[in-house]
Amino acid sequence: MAPSHGSPHSEAAKMEQIVTEFFAKSLHIILDSRTSCMSSRSFRGEQIMSSPSSSSSSTSSVRPRDKWFNLALRECPAALENLDLWRQSNPAPMVVDVVLVQRPLHWDPISFSPKRDLIRNFSSEGYPFGWHSDQEEFRCEAHSEKIIERWVLRYESKKVKDNHSSGSRRSSNSTLHTLYKKSILLLRSLYVTVRLLPAYKIFRELNSSGRIRTFSLTHRVSSFVEPFNPREEAEMQRFGFTPVETSSGRLCLSVSYRSSVLDISSESSTPISPQVIPDYVGSPLAEPLKRFPSLPVAGLGTHGSPSSLPFSGRHSWSYDHYRASSPPSVFFSPSPTHSETCASISNPSSHRFPPTSLPPHPPETSVAHKNNTSFDEYYPSPTFSPSPSPSLPICIPGSHLSKGLLRSESAPVNIPTAKIANSPALSNKQFLPPSPPIKSTRSGTLRTDNYVDPNQISATVEQLFSLGKDETRKYLGMKISSTSSPQISFSRSSSRSFQDDFDDSEFSCPFDVDDDDMTHPGSRPGSFDQRGHLSEPLEPGGLFPIRKSQDAAVGALVRMLKKAPPLRQESSGSVNVPQVAGPEIWSNSLDEHNQAVQHAASASITSSGLVTLKTTADALEELQGYREEMNNLLLKQGCKSNK
Amino acid sequence: MNCEVCQLKELEVEHFEIGEVLRCILHTIVFHRALGLVRPKDIDLELFEITYVQCGDVELEKKIDEKIEQFISWVEKHPNKKSQICLSFYEVKNKQPSWWTNKIERLYWEQWYINLNVAQHTKAHSSKSHHSKLVVDPGESAVEERSVRRAALEASLREVMFQIIKFANEKKDHVPPIPNREGIVSFPYEITIPSSSDSAFGMDMIKKMLQTGHPTMLS
Repeated sequence: MAPSHGSPHSEAAKMEQIVTEFFAKSLHIILDSRTSCMSSRSFRGEQIMSSPSSSSSSTSSVRPRDKWFNLALRECPAALENLDLWRQSNPAPMVVDVVLVQRPLHWDPISFSPKRDLIRNFSSEGYPFGWHSDQEEFRCEAHSEKIIERWVLRYESKKVKDNHSSGSRRSSNSTLHTLYKKSILLLRSLYVTVRLLPAYKIFRELNSSGRIRTFSLTHRVSSFVEPFNPREEAEMQRFGFTPVETSSGRLCLSVSYRSSVLDISSESSTPISPQVIPDYVGSPLAEPLKRFPSLPVAGLGTHGSPSSLPFSGRHSWSYDHYRASSPPSVFFSPSPTHSETCASISNPSSHRFPPTSLPPHPPETSVAHKNNTSFDEYYPSPTFSPSPSPSLPICIPGSHLSKGLLRSESAPVNIPTAKIANSPALSNKQFLPPSPPIKSTRSGTLRTDNYVDPNQISATVEQLFSLGKDETRKYLGMKISSTSSPQISFSRSSSRSFQDDFDDSEFSCPFDVDDDDMTHPGSRPGSFDQRGHLSEPLEPGGLFPIRKSQDAAVGALVRMLKKAPPLRQESSGSVNVPQVAGPEIWSNSLDEHNQAVQHAASASITSSGLVTLKTTADALEELQGYREEMNNLLLKQGCKSNK
Repeated sequence: MNCEVCQLKELEVEHFEIGEVLRCILHTIVFHRALGLVRPKDIDLELFEITYVQCGDVELEKKIDEKIEQFISWVEKHPNKKSQICLSFYEVKNKQPSWWTNKIERLYWEQWYINLNVAQHTKAHSSKSHHSKLVVDPGESAVEERSVRRAALEASLREVMFQIIKFANEKKDHVPPIPNREGIVSFPYEITIPSSSDSAFGMDMIKKMLQTGHPTMLS
């Protein structure tokens, strides 16, 4: 037993040691479950992977600290740090305040700077733990603090040494043993209690997933009790542990806690409307035995009362709106129309196809898609989204995304796919008569990409992000489109590349292929073999018309140009045409390649946007020129042959 | 030594919830009585937003799961019955052989009674329902009722957890000194379920009566 080993101390010294260690252990237990300890990174990882995980320290070695009170705990630097501070003021009481810090929701939908916001959000998405570290100095903005728990641990010493209850009948040694045993018992209780109090839920939520949160937990350890104001006092509940009597005093431990913490946490986390959740795969509705451990609305009514929703909605609206300010331009920008022309005005066929070729349209979609309906009418294949929806529950276990969100997220991606897939004949007719079979396989693989990519971990964050955006779109609807429409005219490209950054996982592949295909064949123009191959790149342009509409147009034109070889082959006289055109195309596609690289890196968002702008404009211009040149040549050839 | 008895608040559970609820309660109790070197293991319930603590003893886990399984099969044979699971801690006394038995004597010093009322899940919202409304739309109302009921059970389970904490806190004197043996669960324990009970409970009573006369154990 820990207190009895070592040199023969006096009883008082031993007792003092027990008391001191009791303070240390208590602090350790409290902070261990309230602060994000550095060493518990792996523990957090576990939490993310599977909720019923063990938080026990995995090492089998027993550290001396663990032996105390027979309770082995994880290393918690915060506890050690604070303990050293406290030890200097021993034997004063130890007061541990657990503070909920809420960052103000200062995002103003009107006066925001998209770029700054974008970067900030991106960083907070990418490093959620770093961002939510409990180090206050990282946060420069004003924030509101609220004490949600106050632990008071004190040793009340008695003047007269009289033996109490159990101690009275025992020898002094057994008194020590009794004290030690009782403190073990008390610490066991503390350990369980700390996990039952509402603040633990916040701690878990902060550690469980990579969602953006506007709150965090921090702590203050002091040696004096700063009284609550009466209102605070009224909000606090108190739980007092039974004091442990010692021969010269007693150990008292109590906690005051706010029982209404839950509302705060669910309010400030990502808002999810309760009407949407039930449709979500694995929801209590779909599977009554299942539950989401950290679901903010807690499976229909444990604490997520509908009344709290408008509140949360409002908060995150402004928040979401802020970060989602640009993407809506993808929806409402003229690009879809553009892509339509590019994809050979396939409306008639696509209107015909969806009902038969697509899986049944989920009825719940209508709720989530309220504002997208007009869009859906034009692109009647939103049912193609099954690809993201099944994969998401797997790849984002900690987050709670409604199906509606997924649906709207997938819409801009998959709809064009479906459209093209449904109307191969038409697009082929226009662009590449010789190779329809390749085309269809191509679109098939692309769809598989959509299935696979979301599973990549790297994509998860981006997915999450874009989901948030789409949700906003859902909420804000046309309002967003109006705010973002000026943006389309000014910096359409930047908003576009913004989208690129977060959709990279899905788009970079096809686009890279496109570039590769264009780069090499472009440099060695025109064999018959390659013509079939060349037909492929056309697909991405048509497949992602909304996002890449202009590029797609360029790509299509480039390929039209490339299809010049047949013409050239017919006539041996026009040798210099491909020689001129080849390098040009190549450089052109290089530009695009650069752009793709930048997309992948997603480092400088604006610059990539600029490149896009330049490329597109230039390419169009150049191609127009080529076309004319070509026509001229053809005419000349025609003249020649006629002659 | 007196035997402290704690009657835990009755919980109304559905069949599928029995396992998780019992596991949570039993482990929480044992954790309070596992005075050996413990590496606590946090376990999140799947059905409820509650985290409880296990003491990380594989044998204990096995035994608890085994007993729960037995209990569930008992419940299946005896539907719609209130039932009691008893977790007892005892000390073994074999130094002084008594005149009436040469077996090892068990000195019970603490008993926890877990009270469950198992509702039939199939009839949960029609016959068992408190309000006598007709189930017109079984889909929606059932789900709603279920979630309300679930929330209520979660609150009750939380209450039971605090009951355990409070009891363990208030009553410390009767806990025997920590034995000097290795092991996480320092005191021998026993989980009694109704199936094996009828006679066992009777025996318990006799033993308890006998034990009360014994002098307090001193170490």
